[in-house]
Amino acid sequence: MDTFAALANGMAVALQPMNLLFALIGVFLGTAVGVLPGIGPALTVALLLPVTYKLDPGGSLIMFAGIYYGGMYGGSTTAILINAPGESASMATALEGNKMAKAGRGGPALATAAIGSFVAGTLATIGLAFVAPWLVDLAVMFGPEDYFALMCVAFVTVSATFGNSPVRGLTSLFIGLTLGLVGIDKLTGQPRLAFGVPELLDGVEVTTLAVGLFAIGEALYVASRRHQVEEKIEAVRGSLWMTKEDWKRSWKAWLRGFGFGFPIGALPAGGAEIPTFLSYSTEKRLTKHPEDFGKGAIEGVAGPEAANNASAAGTLVPLLTLGLPTSATAAMMLAGFQQYGLNPGPLLFAEKPDLVWGLIASLFIANLMLLVLNLPLVGLWVRLLTIPQAWLYAGILVFATMGTIAVKPSVVELTMLACFGVLGFLMRRYDFPIAPVVVGLILGPMAESQLRRALSISLGDPMILLQSPISATLLAIALIALVAPFILKNMSRFGAKED
Amino acid sequence: MTIRNAFLGVTGLALLGALVATPALSQQPLELKIMAPANPGGGWDQTARAMQQALVTAGIAKSAQVTNVGGAGGAVGIAQFVNTAKGDGNQLMVNGFVMVGALAMNKSPVTLEQVTPIARLTEEIQVVVVPASSPIKNAKDLAAALKADIAKATFAGGSAGGIDHIMAALLADAAGADPKKVNYVPFSGGGESLAAILGGKVTAGISGYSEYEGQIKAGKLRAIGISAPERRPGIDVPTFKEQGVDLVLTNWRSVVAAPGITAEQKKVLGDAVERMVKSPAWQDILKQKGWDDAYLGGDAFADFLKKETVRVTDVLKSIGLVKS
Amino acid sequence: MTATDRSGEGKRGIDRAGVVIALALAAVAAVLVVDALRIQANVVYGLGPEAMPIVVAIGLGLLAVGNFVNALRGGDAVPEAMDFRPVMLILAGLAMMIAIIGLGGGFIPAMTVLFAATATAFGRRSVITDLVIGFVIGTVIYLAFSKLLTLSLPAGPLEQLF
Repeated sequence: MDTFAALANGMAVALQPMNLLFALIGVFLGTAVGVLPGIGPALTVALLLPVTYKLDPGGSLIMFAGIYYGGMYGGSTTAILINAPGESASMATALEGNKMAKAGRGGPALATAAIGSFVAGTLATIGLAFVAPWLVDLAVMFGPEDYFALMCVAFVTVSATFGNSPVRGLTSLFIGLTLGLVGIDKLTGQPRLAFGVPELLDGVEVTTLAVGLFAIGEALYVASRRHQVEEKIEAVRGSLWMTKEDWKRSWKAWLRGFGFGFPIGALPAGGAEIPTFLSYSTEKRLTKHPEDFGKGAIEGVAGPEAANNASAAGTLVPLLTLGLPTSATAAMMLAGFQQYGLNPGPLLFAEKPDLVWGLIASLFIANLMLLVLNLPLVGLWVRLLTIPQAWLYAGILVFATMGTIAVKPSVVELTMLACFGVLGFLMRRYDFPIAPVVVGLILGPMAESQLRRALSISLGDPMILLQSPISATLLAIALIALVAPFILKNMSRFGAKED
Repeated sequence: MTIRNAFLGVTGLALLGALVATPALSQQPLELKIMAPANPGGGWDQTARAMQQALVTAGIAKSAQVTNVGGAGGAVGIAQFVNTAKGDGNQLMVNGFVMVGALAMNKSPVTLEQVTPIARLTEEIQVVVVPASSPIKNAKDLAAALKADIAKATFAGGSAGGIDHIMAALLADAAGADPKKVNYVPFSGGGESLAAILGGKVTAGISGYSEYEGQIKAGKLRAIGISAPERRPGIDVPTFKEQGVDLVLTNWRSVVAAPGITAEQKKVLGDAVERMVKSPAWQDILKQKGWDDAYLGGDAFADFLKKETVRVTDVLKSIGLVKS
Repeated sequence: MTATDRSGEGKRGIDRAGVVIALALAAVAAVLVVDALRIQANVVYGLGPEAMPIVVAIGLGLLAVGNFVNALRGGDAVPEAMDFRPVMLILAGLAMMIAIIGLGGGFIPAMTVLFAATATAFGRRSVITDLVIGFVIGTVIYLAFSKLLTLSLPAGPLEQLF
């Protein structure tokens, strides 16, 4: 029960009034910077790290935790309100979240995102405190072949974003896979589809694609139909706050999101995208309101947001126990820890227990502060949608391009952004789903690299995929997930053919 | 009409600004622009921002502005630097070992010969590790394993053609095996490759020392050798050289100036960087970030840069990443 | 995602857009194959960099056939007439924004033009007001980035003032 005593000790430090104030400032700054599209949590932390230098270690650490959570939450705010995900992990949130916002339910969407993040983040932090050493042993057992199998599971779930035509869904997915090929091949350093343009060698940035397809494509589409369809955005329809029904539909999604996010986030190459996709497709399959999906289903926001936050806490498992920074954000956190003389690694828990528990306590407090700061702000955020349509979309375009300009101010990158906008417009017009393109761009290169690593290690023997028990199990799950819906669909074919 | 008026107004404002902003010519305080040829957050960006901080804190420059031009391992940044900064004695660019290889691999039309070398700033030594349970105990065992069956001796490390890959090729070469056949598996980021090593998926791993330091000290990884010319204080790992393997390689970062600047401008910049390196502000940053001071200025650095370029290009040719 | 109830109204002829899409997919597949065959990598173990492009190209080829068959059957839906003017206005705004950044005009003028162009596309008629609003937004963002975050946005003659 040492853990409890240590945690209580950490809490006592974090709960001092001054430290609470630092946490609040951190959350505020993190949210303010994190809402800028294209500026994800990693860059937010990088940009704001110097602010924390000026404080004493305790206050600095807690402000840092606040910035981190604020940055994460900021990304989902723009995804919901203006359909411009700030990072790849909030893409799934944008799918249903923006539909909700347009239907006047932006309040509940933001609330379920905030509360879901809090619930999943808290559970994950508890997980971090109690099962980290055990979980990490499991995580290290994952080899490239196992990651490839995990990607296969994720690929199967993509069909949840396909809409009503498999041919159209697959077309979108393959457009994404094609875009994923652009740039230097990670394993041999050879350029592919770069056509001699140096800016293309780094490949297509996920946020550039997502912001172009979602935000700019949408602006073009709405503009093109301005005279046919009077689009009426109501900021608030019904309750600003979550109703009883919303709570009922959200809480299970939060828990399932945590279930996907924490363990996969703890895997060194797990990432935050796969759990959010898995969560989205699971919620879509399990929901009692399938008719809401595509029109703004609250489960579709609650699940992925919880998964996103839990996976972020999950990445702290290898970071604190092994010193492994497994994501850009984790790498920034590592830089943050080092300034307090914290060198994450196998000895950290033994050598510096006070600082580790102080950090974990800070994460709890920062998570709570996020809720305290953002729930009252929900009403204010939603008011953004009451801006006249012309100014709203003009602002969205300025905001969307600004993110790209800030990170990569090159003409090639901006041209790509505009082209993706046109692509998004055409895809909307000819009724192709948008999300699979982004999914393909994210998963394609990951799956390819892992498979080729596995085959390089096995000297070209594909049997390695079946010899590893983890990989074999995951492939079996993927196969079942692929086949089962067809069987179920055939059984209930006549009942579903009505829309 | 109206738009034209607006533009006229803007131009007027700009002219006014240019007049106000003209610096007093007598004193010429340094107003530097430092380009990091990478996106914010990475090693070059951190170096550039550290320079900014030190130069301004120590009062060497009146101001220092960092710009980020990322892409293709620095190839995009250097191209822009060479084109736009020509003859400008107030512009600097951060670069390093990785850029040498990246320019060669991407067939960049712009090379490091076009810029004006100023100084090497920091370096990091490389280490080769194996899982604690591995039968490989020292550099000789590793060389023997490479010689016995080079296909089965798998290495995990960073990006293809990067410093880790080059080190694997140099190791194979030193062991008397064919560097072209090295089974090098690139991972994205030290975290992922470390997991593959700890999980026993590969024979050995290569990375910067600091990245694996915790694991080595905890006894989870065994360090086979470091790539420094001689032992480092505080690091209880033998060098490859003392184990009879001729391998010296460090991951250095440096700063260069624009092409076509005058000898006088070069001296001003060289002196400023030298004063910065000696300032307490810079030393503090080095300590905070855990970087090793590797200051090398003037012609000595220009020589060093030339030699490294030749060496890296040769290695990349030998592993078939650069076509000769 | 954006399907509206418009099936049944269009003629069941050949869907021209569908044919164009099928042809475009086939063209992309061809580009992939040509690009993949060009790569000469020294890969001793496992799969080379050309394997994945070939797989994707095969998939695109099959999808081209699938889209073509759908198009011949008359497609799923005929999109309603669209308004070209606002779309062109927004695209012109984006193009001007890129040109201004590319030619060194700076961040604030670029954002001013983009804002005004988009607002006009959405039916606003007072260009001057919108230019002023865009200018103010651009300036605020520029100052916030350069002063608070020390992240330098593209600077033209105007931004040098700050």
